Amino acid sequence: MIVCVAVVGHQNNPLYLQSFTGSDDALKLHHIVHCSLDVIDERVNNPKRSASTLNETFLGLLYPTENYKVYGYLTNTKVKFIMVTTDLDVKDADVRSFFRKFHAAYVDAVCNPFHVPGKKITSNSFSERVGTIVRSFGPSMTL
Amino acid sequence: MEDYPEELRTPPVSLVCLTGCPELHHPISAFLHSEQPPINTLALPDFSKASVLARKKNRDPLSQPTPAPPSGILKRDWLLKHRTRVPAVVAALFRADQISGDPAQWLQACTDLENLKSLIHGRSTRLVVVLVQTQAAEELSEDVMAALRKRAEIDSKHLVEFVQNDASDLRQSLNKLASLFAELCLTYYKEEGRRIRSIIEKKSSPFPELNIRYCFKIAIYAEFRRDWSEALKFYEEAYRVLREMANTSTRLPPIQRLVEIKTIAEQIHFKISTLLLHGGKIMEAVARFLKHIKTYKRLVGLPEVDFLHWEWFSRQFLVFAELLETTAASAPSSQSPQFGTSESPFSEWEFQPAYYYQLAANYLREKRCCLEQSSVSKTDLPTKITEAPDSVMPSTHIGQSARLVEEGDIVTVLPLSDAEYVAYALAEAERFQDCYEIIALYKRAQESFSSHGSQRMACLCTLGMAREYYASDDFTNSKQLFDTVAAMYRREGWAPLLWEVLGYLRDCAKRLGLTNEYTAYSLEMAALPVFSTGFEETIDFGPAGPATLSRREEIQREALNFAVETDGDPEPVGLDVDPVSPLRSVLLVAVAFHEQSVKPDSVASLTVSLLSHLPLLFKVDLLEVEFNQPACNFSMSIPLEVSPNKWLRLTHEVKSGQSGKLECLTVKAKINNNLIICCRAESPALMEDLTSWKYENQRETYPTLDPALSLSGQKSIQVDEPNPLVDLTLNSIGPALVGEVFQIPVLVVSTGHVIHGGELKINLVDARGGGMLMSPRETDESDAHHVELLSISGLPEEKEDDLNTDLSEETKSDNIRKIQYSFGVVSVPVLKEGESWCCNLEIRWHRPKLVMVYVSLGYNPGDVDQRVNVHRSLQIEGKVPFFTNHRFMMPFRREPLLISNIRSLISPLEEKKVSLALKENNIVIVSAKNCTDVPLNLVSMKIVPEGGTNSNEKLFLVQEISGISNKCTRFVPGEEFRGVFSITPLVAKSSLSLGVVCVEWTRDSKNQDQPETVTTKHSLPQVCVEEPPLVAAIECPPFAIVGDPFSLYIKVKNNTNLLQEIKYSLGDSQNFVFCGAHVHTASILPGKELVLSYKFVPFSAGVQQLPRITITSVRYSAQLTPSIAAGTIFVYPAEPKFSLEKNGSELVV
Repeated sequence: MIVCVAVVGHQNNPLYLQSFTGSDDALKLHHIVHCSLDVIDERVNNPKRSASTLNETFLGLLYPTENYKVYGYLTNTKVKFIMVTTDLDVKDADVRSFFRKFHAAYVDAVCNPFHVPGKKITSNSFSERVGTIVRSFGPSMTL
Repeated sequence: MEDYPEELRTPPVSLVCLTGCPELHHPISAFLHSEQPPINTLALPDFSKASVLARKKNRDPLSQPTPAPPSGILKRDWLLKHRTRVPAVVAALFRADQISGDPAQWLQACTDLENLKSLIHGRSTRLVVVLVQTQAAEELSEDVMAALRKRAEIDSKHLVEFVQNDASDLRQSLNKLASLFAELCLTYYKEEGRRIRSIIEKKSSPFPELNIRYCFKIAIYAEFRRDWSEALKFYEEAYRVLREMANTSTRLPPIQRLVEIKTIAEQIHFKISTLLLHGGKIMEAVARFLKHIKTYKRLVGLPEVDFLHWEWFSRQFLVFAELLETTAASAPSSQSPQFGTSESPFSEWEFQPAYYYQLAANYLREKRCCLEQSSVSKTDLPTKITEAPDSVMPSTHIGQSARLVEEGDIVTVLPLSDAEYVAYALAEAERFQDCYEIIALYKRAQESFSSHGSQRMACLCTLGMAREYYASDDFTNSKQLFDTVAAMYRREGWAPLLWEVLGYLRDCAKRLGLTNEYTAYSLEMAALPVFSTGFEETIDFGPAGPATLSRREEIQREALNFAVETDGDPEPVGLDVDPVSPLRSVLLVAVAFHEQSVKPDSVASLTVSLLSHLPLLFKVDLLEVEFNQPACNFSMSIPLEVSPNKWLRLTHEVKSGQSGKLECLTVKAKINNNLIICCRAESPALMEDLTSWKYENQRETYPTLDPALSLSGQKSIQVDEPNPLVDLTLNSIGPALVGEVFQIPVLVVSTGHVIHGGELKINLVDARGGGMLMSPRETDESDAHHVELLSISGLPEEKEDDLNTDLSEETKSDNIRKIQYSFGVVSVPVLKEGESWCCNLEIRWHRPKLVMVYVSLGYNPGDVDQRVNVHRSLQIEGKVPFFTNHRFMMPFRREPLLISNIRSLISPLEEKKVSLALKENNIVIVSAKNCTDVPLNLVSMKIVPEGGTNSNEKLFLVQEISGISNKCTRFVPGEEFRGVFSITPLVAKSSLSLGVVCVEWTRDSKNQDQPETVTTKHSLPQVCVEEPPLVAAIECPPFAIVGDPFSLYIKVKNNTNLLQEIKYSLGDSQNFVFCGAHVHTASILPGKELVLSYKFVPFSAGVQQLPRITITSVRYSAQLTPSIAAGTIFVYPAEPKFSLEKNGSELVV
C-alpha cells in the first residue's frame, strides 16, 4: 500500500504532500520524504550515470527503511516526486507506471491557468485523482 | 563490538606448547609469532608445569555414547581454552648433553617424556622432541636418537635437531621448527574438525544444541586453518539450526531460552559478517545482515522483557555499523554504478555505517520506551514482585545466567527462574543511562552523514539528539541542536517539520527563562503557514500541539499577552527583525518613497506598509519611523489595526533640509505595551519573499497601492543640493604642444552666493578612457607621466614668493594646496557676491595625448553646513610640435669600403645599423617639420653627445655645416627646416651613440614679452664606426664644356697594412670619349694611394652621365660603385659667363 506521495519543488520545498495512513506516522513520513531528498541529490549530481540513464526520470529505490520503501522520480522540469510504500517487494515496473500516471496528473494540475508555477498545489481535483491512482496501485500488486 | 571477548573478535591463532630449555622459549616464541600465519606459543619453563595441559575429569560429552541433554549450547570458555590452553603441538626441548651424558639425566628425560605422553593421551595433540645442540660438533649417535624416538613413540621427522651455534644455523633451525609446527598444527586442526564432523554425519543428534555446538566447533577449527569458506559454511549451518531451534527448544524457561538463542545468534552472525566483510563481499554481508534483522525482528519474546529484545536488536545494528566502518576501504561504489534499480536492490545508505548507527539509536530509544513501561508495570503488580537476586553471574554457557548461593563455605550455582531473571534484567537495565548512549549513536550517525553530504539525514540525526537532550531535561544543549535543525527546515520551507521543532524550542526557551526567545519562537509558530487538513489534529507534534489554525491563534494570544502575565517585569520584550530573520512573517515593513529625488526643504511623500501573517488581528499602539537624518523621524500614536495577510499602508510626508541621501532605517511597532518589534525597513523593489510563505498558493498583493511603485520603490531618496550661484570658467588657447608649460586660466565669479571654504579640485583624465595618465610599467618615475599637472599659478600668495612654492606650501598649512601628477586641490578665498578670482593651471605634456581636464569647485554658500559643487570640464589635446628626421651621407664622390655594409648585403636578416667610416667626414642631415597649426620660432638646433659636451674622451667631432643663420627663424605650419652636420668619428666602435638633436623653439606670439624656450629632443641612432680598408674618391671638375677635355682622377687609398689588389673598369658612353684603361688591375702598397688618371672629352651638353666606374677589391670581393649623382656632370655647350661681382670665388675651379 502506498502510504505517502509528495511533490517537491526546486528549492527542495514541499509542493504537495499527502499521506494515506493513520495519523501516527504522518510526521515520520514527512521526515522520510525530506531525508530521501538527500539520495535524490546524490543520484542527480552523480556524474557516473551512464548515457542510457541520462534521460531516465525514474530514480529507483531511494532508501529502504525497515517498514517502508521510498521511490523517487525526477521530471524534466526538475520537480521531484517521492512515493513511500509499505509493500516491501514491489516490482519496478509497477512503480514506474504509478509515477507515469502521477506525472500526468501533476502536469494537468500545473496546466491550470490559475496555478502559479512554483507554488503549492492545492487543487482538490488533483488530490482526488492522486487518491485514485494510489488506490489503484494496491490491488494491482496483489494480482 | 568492544563488549565481545577478544577471542571472538579476532581470528583464532594456532597454539604450540614448548617445554624444557626455558632460555630458548623467548626466541622461538618471537619467531613463531612473526611467521605468516602466526603461531602462538604456550611456554612452560620446565616439565613439572606440564600438568596444565591435563584434561578435566569430566569427559567431553561428544565421546560419550549415552547422550545426556546438554545444559547449554556453547560453553563460555571453550574458545578461550583452545586459544590459550589446548595446544596443537607439544614440543619437548632437551639439551643434547642431557641425553648423551649422565645416565641419571637420561632417566630423568625418559620420565619427563612419559609424563608428557600421558598428559596428551587421548587427544590428537602431536608430540615433537627437539634436541638442542650448542655446537654442530655435538653430533649424537644414531642409536641414542633411535632410543629417544622409541621412548617418545614418534616418527623420525618429529625428532628435530636445533642448532644454535651461530646466527645462520639458528635461523635455519627456527625455520625448520616453524614449518614443522605449521604442518602439524594444520593436521591437528584438520583432524579435530574431521572428528567432530564424523559425529554429525554418523547420527543426527536428538539435541539441536549439540548440532549447533559441533558446527560452531568445526567452523572454529576451520578458522584455525584459515579455511574461511568452510568456516563460513558451518557458521551458516549453525545459524540455521539455531533459528529452527528457537521455536522447539524447551530446555530452559522461555525468557532465558530466547536470551540464550539470541546471544548465540549474535555471536555466530558476528563471525559470518566479519568473514564476509574481510573477504570483500560487502554486498553479501549487507544482504546477510538484512536477513538476520528480518528473521529476528519479530522474536520479541514476552512483553515484560521486550526491552531486552530491543537492546539486543539495537546492538546488532551498532556492531554491524562498527564492522562496516572498520572495513570501510572496500566501498561498493565501484561495484554497482546505480543503486535502487532492479539490478542493484540496495541503496547508497545501506553501505554506510551512519545508516546503521542511526537505526541502532532508534531501537535503543524503543528499548528505553519498553523499559519504562516494564518498570511501571512492575510497580503496578506488587503481587508478582520478585526481588532481584543479589549474586547473579554469567553461567558456564554463553547466554545463560546463574545464581551463586553461599551456604557456609560451600558455594553452589543454581539456575534462575524466569521471574528472578526478569527482576535481575530490569534492575540491571535501570542502572544504565540510555540517553547518553542514544545521543552518542546519533552523533556518530550525524557526523558520518554530514561528511557524506547528506545534510537532511544528518539533520534528522541532530533532531534525534535534540529530542534526547530534551527528554533528559538538558534544555541548553537541546535548544542549540533544535536551532540548527530549525534553520534547515526554514530554508526549505517544510512547515510541519518546523512546527514541531519550534514547539520544542519554545518550550526550551520557556524552561530556560528566555523571554525574548520564547516570544520570538511563539510568534514564528503563530505565523507559520500550517492549516488544518484533518490529519494534523491527531498527529503528535510534541510540545508544539496540533498544527491547526486554532492552535496558532492560541499561541499568538499567549505570546502577545505574555509580558502582561509576568507583571513583575514591566520592561517590554524587544524583538529585532532584519531581512534574514524568520520573524519577517510576523511583521514585514516596506517603505517606499514616491519619488527618486527631492529638492531640499520640499515635501517628499512616502508609504510605510505593514504585513503580518499572524492569524489574528492585532493593534499597534505606537509606530516610530526612523531615518538616517534624525530630524525627519516621526511617529504615529493612533492605534493601527494590522489584519492577517493584508498590507496596512500608511502615507506620510517628510521634509529634509539636508542634501544627500535620506534613508528610512527602522520602523518600531509597539504592541500591547509589552512588545516592541523593531523592523529593518525594506525597499519594495529589493524585498525578498518570505521563505515560509513564498510557496503558499495565495493571491499576490502589493505593499503600495500603485503596483509600479511596489516594483521600483526604494526606502531612500536623494535630497538634491541647492543650485550653485557661481560661474566657473575654463579657457584654453588652442592645442598644447608637447614639452611646453601649457597654461589654462580658471575664473571663478560669484553671482549670488558668498563662497566660504571654497576648494578647487583639478583632475586630469585620459580622454580615451583608461584613466591612467602614466605608462603602466614605470609608474614610479615622474618622467613616466605622459601628462603632468605642474603647478597652479596666479594665486595671491604665490605672486609674492614665486620661486619658493614649497616653502609657501609648508608655512600656509591652512591653505589647502596639493598637487600630484594628475590631481590638484587648491583653496579659494572667501568671495563676496560679484567678486571674482582666477588662477592658471600649468600642465606639461610629455607625450602627445588627448586629455580631459575636470575642474570642480566646492563651497559653502553662507552659513549652512552644506556644500555646493560646480563642475566644468575641457578637452585639450597635446601635440608634437616638430616632426624630426635625420639622414646619414658620405661626402660627395667619396666612397669608403665598409665591411659591415658588405656583410649586411650577404645576410640581410641581421639588424641593420648605420655604418660610419672612421676619421672621415660623415654628413648628417636633420630635418624638422612644423606639424602644428601655429607658427613657431626656431632658436637653435645642435647635436649634443650623450653625457654632455664636456665628456672626457671625445669619441667623435661634430661640426655644424649649415644651420640657423640668424637668432630666430620663424617658420609657419608645414614648413621644414634642415640642419647639416658633419660627424668625424675618432674611435672605431661597433656601437656608438651619437647623442641627441636638440631643437630649441618658442611659440611665435606677439603678446608675450619673453616667450619660454622649449627644447625638443630627437635622439640619433646607435651607429657602427669602422675603419674602411679602402677609400675611393673621384675628383672631377664641377662642370665641363662641350669639346673641352677635362681630367678625372680616381684615387684609391689603402688604409691597411696589407697589399691590396684592385680591379677597376670604366664603361663606354656615347657622350664622352676618354683615354685610359677600360679594365685593369692594380696593386696598392700599405698606406699608399693609387691615383688613376683619365682624360675626358664631352660630346653633348646638359646633365650627362659619366661612364660607369667600378672598383673591385679582390681581397674583400667587394665593389665600390659611385652613386648616380656622383657620376653626373653638367656640360655647358660653351664656356659660361658668370657674374663676377656676386660669386667671384665660385668661378675658380
